[in-house]
Amino acid sequence: MALTGRAGLVAALGIVVVLLAPVPGAAVAGVCLLLAAAIVVDLVFAGAVRPLRFHRSGDTLVRLGGRASVELIVENPGGRRVRGVLRDAWPPSAGAGPRLIPLDVPAGERRKVVVTLEPTRRGDRSSVAVTVRSVGPLGLAARQGTHRAPWSVRVLPPFLSRKHLPSRLTRLRELEGQHPALVRGQGTEFDSLREYVVGDDVRSIDWRATARRHDVVVRTWRPERDRRVLIVLDTGRTSAGRVGDAPVPLAGAVAQGGGLLPSSAPPSAARAVPGWPRLDWSMDAALLLAALAARAGDQVDFLAYDRSVRAWVSGASRTELLPSMVNAMAPIEAELVEADAQGMVAAVLSRARRRCLVVLLTDLNGAALDEGLMPVLPQLSSRHLVLVAGISDPRLAAMAAARGSAEEVYDAAAAEHARLERRRITARLRRHGVEVVDAPPDDIAPALADAYLALKAAGRL
Amino acid sequence: MSADLRPVAAPPAGGASASVSPTLRSTWRAGRVAALLGLVIVLAAALGVLLAPGQRESRYLDPDDTSLAGSKALAELLRARGVTVDRVDSAEAAAASAGGGDRLLLITDTVYVNEFRLAAVPGDKLVVGAVPGLEALAPGVRPLPGQPRERSREPRCDLPGVAAAGSAYVGGTAFAGPSGSTGCYPAGDGHALVTYEHDGGRVTVVGSGSFMTNQRLAEDGNAALALNLIGTGKPVTWLVRPQTPPVGELPGTRGESMYDLMPAGVGWAVLMGCLSVALVAFWRGRRLGPVVAERLPVVVRAAETVEGRGRLYRARRARERAAGALRAGTIDRLTPRLGLAPGAGGHEVVAALAARTGQDPHQVGSALYGPPPGDDAGLVALARYLDFIERQVSEL
Repeated sequence: MALTGRAGLVAALGIVVVLLAPVPGAAVAGVCLLLAAAIVVDLVFAGAVRPLRFHRSGDTLVRLGGRASVELIVENPGGRRVRGVLRDAWPPSAGAGPRLIPLDVPAGERRKVVVTLEPTRRGDRSSVAVTVRSVGPLGLAARQGTHRAPWSVRVLPPFLSRKHLPSRLTRLRELEGQHPALVRGQGTEFDSLREYVVGDDVRSIDWRATARRHDVVVRTWRPERDRRVLIVLDTGRTSAGRVGDAPVPLAGAVAQGGGLLPSSAPPSAARAVPGWPRLDWSMDAALLLAALAARAGDQVDFLAYDRSVRAWVSGASRTELLPSMVNAMAPIEAELVEADAQGMVAAVLSRARRRCLVVLLTDLNGAALDEGLMPVLPQLSSRHLVLVAGISDPRLAAMAAARGSAEEVYDAAAAEHARLERRRITARLRRHGVEVVDAPPDDIAPALADAYLALKAAGRL
Repeated sequence: MSADLRPVAAPPAGGASASVSPTLRSTWRAGRVAALLGLVIVLAAALGVLLAPGQRESRYLDPDDTSLAGSKALAELLRARGVTVDRVDSAEAAAASAGGGDRLLLITDTVYVNEFRLAAVPGDKLVVGAVPGLEALAPGVRPLPGQPRERSREPRCDLPGVAAAGSAYVGGTAFAGPSGSTGCYPAGDGHALVTYEHDGGRVTVVGSGSFMTNQRLAEDGNAALALNLIGTGKPVTWLVRPQTPPVGELPGTRGESMYDLMPAGVGWAVLMGCLSVALVAFWRGRRLGPVVAERLPVVVRAAETVEGRGRLYRARRARERAAGALRAGTIDRLTPRLGLAPGAGGHEVVAALAARTGQDPHQVGSALYGPPPGDDAGLVALARYLDFIERQVSEL
């Protein structure tokens, strides 16, 4: 049961009655008895909550930053009207609203209420409970009950870098020769024969076929197809660090206007909004690369690994690759453990039998790579082409450029030290024959796509 | 989106719901053992309180108290010897029972009495302990600093009653008496018992009353000492601390208190107000549904380690390391721009830089490879100069 503010108000009015009454003791007893009787009557005549039935329908998938709506049908099989409020309890990061929904279901009927979810975080969000408070006819007291009406919404990565896809696809078409630039170069394989037209490179004339056909025939070329790309996502501790500015406010980004207090002062540099984890930026870049590679006719596999396999997508067809990848990525969070590079390399080697392009999305952290990846890298780079993509922190660049005071110069020295370390590890990786892409969070996805296109153009896949 | 995108934990078809609120029956089932246990505990406690002998708070040196700290035994001994013992708890009662002054006033506590009114009571006085107002009750006797331990002591004096009693459990406070007084039971620098004639009566002060309690009366010569001190044949007025401290009255204009002036309904109205506050508290306190907890990912900015390193540099004023890092960064960026191999030596870098920018080679050399700056201003200047060189190289 629950009381309403009206019950408190009636009791407060009782104070006046008691003050004015000739026999105050009896007046107190009378007011209390009357109030108790009214509350009991209210409870008895309020619509029953326990027999209510709930049915759900609506979205089960939503991109982060999008809005999902879940419909909840309240069925009242009881004999009395249920009037009051309903709360559909979701975890805070599901962004469910409105918090309280007014409800009025006559006896034997059903009503639909809609809950909108604006999630602030990737992953699966489930409704915990539905609570209904059914107020009695006098409005003094209410019956309250909680039901389980399970529903789950999966929040997918937003794939913000898809805006870069059209321009990269144009570049890809140029490579493929659908664009009229039929230049034979490295990284091309024989496609077909066709008649010579003016402007074709004379070097591509196939003399043998020309002799058979009594016509000048040229060979056409196209970039290699059906190569394999394996995207490996490091979900270890280094991917938990937040960089850049979150394009979609994540849970924990309090200063993004979601705080309880209206922010009067502009957020200072010290209390800057924590950005997105490296993991989310990496996912964004991985999705763009996967979309591009799938269009280019390559087979894309996806592996997420820290100390064990977190996700594994393999053999997906071109159309279902992206959906299955975002679905696999959705529940992954950065684990606060050191990634096991040896296990990761073993997992890659056991899964990729043929030579493929291994794209490792991790952080170019000197200490972590020195101890983890560097010793086992030769095993990987001897059989596969390895591309390491790291997300640099724009804050480091800002710190390294500050010259305002001695304190800032000390910070700049620390930032310079970190960048030097990063350049050192990058140089070491390149000496091992590993391609390295190092870009700030906003540029990592297009930079990685460009690196892939460059490799493809060079025929190194 | 294709079909395999359905969430793994798909809701059951139709979205069947189930009530999870406890029913009356389930509440009873879950709580009956606890309720029964609580009832048993309450019953046992009530029974224990009802059956236990009525034990009151023990009252120190009270002639009606039978506890260890009381003095009922001594009072009974005195009565058996035909001595009248009157228990009083105020100076007024003591003065009223004093009569002509042929009584002995036993003072055990003066916290709530006016000592001057008490001092005016005629007759003998026996003061127990260094009570407040001792200087008025026994003029000339002053308690000495330091508290000698209470223990069995020899009288070492020729006061008849005391000498006959022998060793007794005294101590607590040592006194220095006025001239003409007799001191017994030496303790510390003074005596634990001082007696002298004053204003037509005998005033005796003892350091503590332990020897008169029910606990100690049977030990040593305690009973003899107490009987000899008190049982001199005169009736005894025994002043104890009152059961409840006397309260000053707050009379209004016609002797009415504030409560008398208030309308009768106000108290009830306050009760009603408390009730309404309770109802409002219940209204606001009842939560609509459960609190939903969530496991949130850790929020840690990637730059935190670097900021920490910067603060360490700051705290230790590590100019050498800071300058080293800045120089290494500059050299690392300049080397490829100057067309030098990555491992180029210092002289080559300086020579190439000087040729490229037209700066003094000595100045460039000391900026890139010189000693670390001597103070923070030097460090800032160095950082700015390195920036300047880099800009020169990139602009040319």
